[in-house]
Amino acid sequence: MEIQQTSPSLAVSDTNSTCEYLDAEGEPDPSDVDSNLYEEADHDQEADQQKHSIISALRDGLEPNASSTSAISPEPGKSKGLAASVESLALSTSTSAKTEDSSSSCAALDDDQHDYQHDSVWRGQKKHIFILSEAGKPIFSLHGNEDKLVTLFGVIQALVSFVQLGQDAITSIHAGGIKFAFMQRSSLILVAATRTNMSVQQLHLQLGDVYNQILSILTYSHMTKIFEKRKNFDLRRLLSGSERLFFNLLANDSSSARVSNNIFTFLTNSIRVFPLSTTVRSQITGAIQSNCSKIKNLVFAVLIANNKLIALVRMKKYSIHPADLRLIFNLVECSESFKSSENWSPICLPKFDMNGYLHAHVSYLADDCQACLLLLSVDRDAFFTLAEAKAKITEKLRRSHCLEAINEELQQPFNAKLYQQVLGIPELRHFLYKPKATAQLLCPMLRHPYKSLQELERLEAIYCGLLHRIHNSSRPLKLIYEVKEREVVLAWATGTYELYAVFEPVVDKATVIKYVDKLIKWIEKEYDVYFIRSHATF
Amino acid sequence: MATRKKSLLKVIILGDSSVGKTSLMNQYVNKRFSNQYKATIGADFCTKEVVVNDRVVTMQIWDTAGQERFQSLGVAFYRGADCCVLVYDVTAPNSFKNLDSWRDEFLIQASPRDPEHFPFVVLGNKVDLDNRQVSTRRAQQWCQSKNDIPYYETSAKEGINVEMAFQTIAKNALEQEAEAEVINDFPDQIILNSQNNRPGNPDNCQC
Repeated sequence: MEIQQTSPSLAVSDTNSTCEYLDAEGEPDPSDVDSNLYEEADHDQEADQQKHSIISALRDGLEPNASSTSAISPEPGKSKGLAASVESLALSTSTSAKTEDSSSSCAALDDDQHDYQHDSVWRGQKKHIFILSEAGKPIFSLHGNEDKLVTLFGVIQALVSFVQLGQDAITSIHAGGIKFAFMQRSSLILVAATRTNMSVQQLHLQLGDVYNQILSILTYSHMTKIFEKRKNFDLRRLLSGSERLFFNLLANDSSSARVSNNIFTFLTNSIRVFPLSTTVRSQITGAIQSNCSKIKNLVFAVLIANNKLIALVRMKKYSIHPADLRLIFNLVECSESFKSSENWSPICLPKFDMNGYLHAHVSYLADDCQACLLLLSVDRDAFFTLAEAKAKITEKLRRSHCLEAINEELQQPFNAKLYQQVLGIPELRHFLYKPKATAQLLCPMLRHPYKSLQELERLEAIYCGLLHRIHNSSRPLKLIYEVKEREVVLAWATGTYELYAVFEPVVDKATVIKYVDKLIKWIEKEYDVYFIRSHATF
Repeated sequence: MATRKKSLLKVIILGDSSVGKTSLMNQYVNKRFSNQYKATIGADFCTKEVVVNDRVVTMQIWDTAGQERFQSLGVAFYRGADCCVLVYDVTAPNSFKNLDSWRDEFLIQASPRDPEHFPFVVLGNKVDLDNRQVSTRRAQQWCQSKNDIPYYETSAKEGINVEMAFQTIAKNALEQEAEAEVINDFPDQIILNSQNNRPGNPDNCQC
């Protein structure tokens, strides 16, 4: 029997790898990349199917027939050491084999034996997210059992380690139509791979959310202490039971077969506000203030419904970061158990304090009002005080008919007024509006033609592209007007807001300008219904 | 709570070039052997599931390149290993002499918490060949002097002792892992207005 050969199919050196910097404009041009990268591989006829060079392992993982280019992009300005210090690098993986089991006919059905790297469904996923420890031990994979992907995790760790050796850090790899974004935070390596239109920066935003989710469960200090003591620690031991939080957090886009606007909040680093009249909202805020102002150590009170913020009351001098709020939304959205009982749960909000837990009293206002109230304190013994305050708040809201007002808004299948407004401009299909002053996003419900997953994916790609160009750090744009095949799109960043709008393909420029003007005027008039200008304090 | 995940062990194989590291791994994982020599470039990764003390364990085996010019995977590559396998060729005295430097190199780069008791296993490979140059006694002495490292004489070609050696590797690595107390100190209470949560400037970004 022949030994399986390692294919020396990737060589990274200063002559045949292109460096694309994170801040550089545009995508790498395939023609820039030296085709030598793969020539060696072709020579090696014996290369075994079960083994891959590192890049092809990553690339093959996503794209069965990719026949193109790759470029490793180190962080700006520090790539010399990497290229010069090393002659070549190649790594290979071979797939798992099980002890004393040579019969293969029934093995395919056995999940223990499952070989994701040769599974077309797994490889065909639009997006992958991998989390591993610095030691290369698997922590999480969005698709597939991470236990069965340990060879891939090994390859990722080796890549990161290799670039690290040159006092550098790998930020992304572009291989054919696939982008790989890398992020190293304390003792973790996070990797996103996608064939969507998402830019590397946008992937980093999402990886940042994932990292924050881990901190939210463990805290930074606890996690670093563990890895200081034991670099080989299997972090899954501490995260088991929390997997749903990661799946839900990452499920907020079209890759998860769910049609929702959630993806846009993370793309714009914002949250959404539950529309309410100003009188109702200030009554709600008042009820929270009056019942909480005397409670020591209470930092935030957050009331949310349907993934949107109703009210936020905060301790003086403290404010809440949208990334932290998204973690709260995520926790509430995927914890059905909150609906049936009062809960007392530690939660770390990393942007507020990454080293400690806040203690959250979490409960829904009432059986007949599905709004969730979180009272977050630094005091771990405050449960009964907070439970009492919550009861009083609910009572007061019921007396002032605020519960009814919330229910009314909740029971409408969509935000009626906003929908009518969009109907008033039938050619306007969808838009994102974000004021500069707050991290709050307004967008109408998705409707035809973006109700289908496939079309939502297209919409997502359009917004990703617009956002990327408006926020491009080396050449930010202020205004984009584009006539695309199936829609007319507009992006407009002013001193007070950002607007991204998608119109029917038939409208002309003058009409678009007229409609945008109309929309902006209407939003400004109704501003206080859809946005919260400033959050009250206790 | 979800069910407890299977244990995962990171095992690194080190040794001079052409002592048979890749062959040992291939014999163990795939039950295959080839006489043809092909240098490993960088590293190979294999996985194998084994049963140790009634527990299923996934071994993540990192087969490294012995040639010096590929010793460029970086410090981080060794980090967090659960066990290190040192391989030499019983017909090549130099490969035996170099075990010292491989061991030192590993301990420096991986910097395990308790280097004295870090689980190593030494394999003297190619015992099927006639021209043996390193005696069993000499190898055993060296292993004893290094805190009683388990020693096996193997043949990747004939599959001698390979299974048993890796079983020991898994067992020792697992024992090491089991010793780790689950670190359960709850983080301290947040002190408001401390450095960690200075109010006022959360990235200039607020809701």
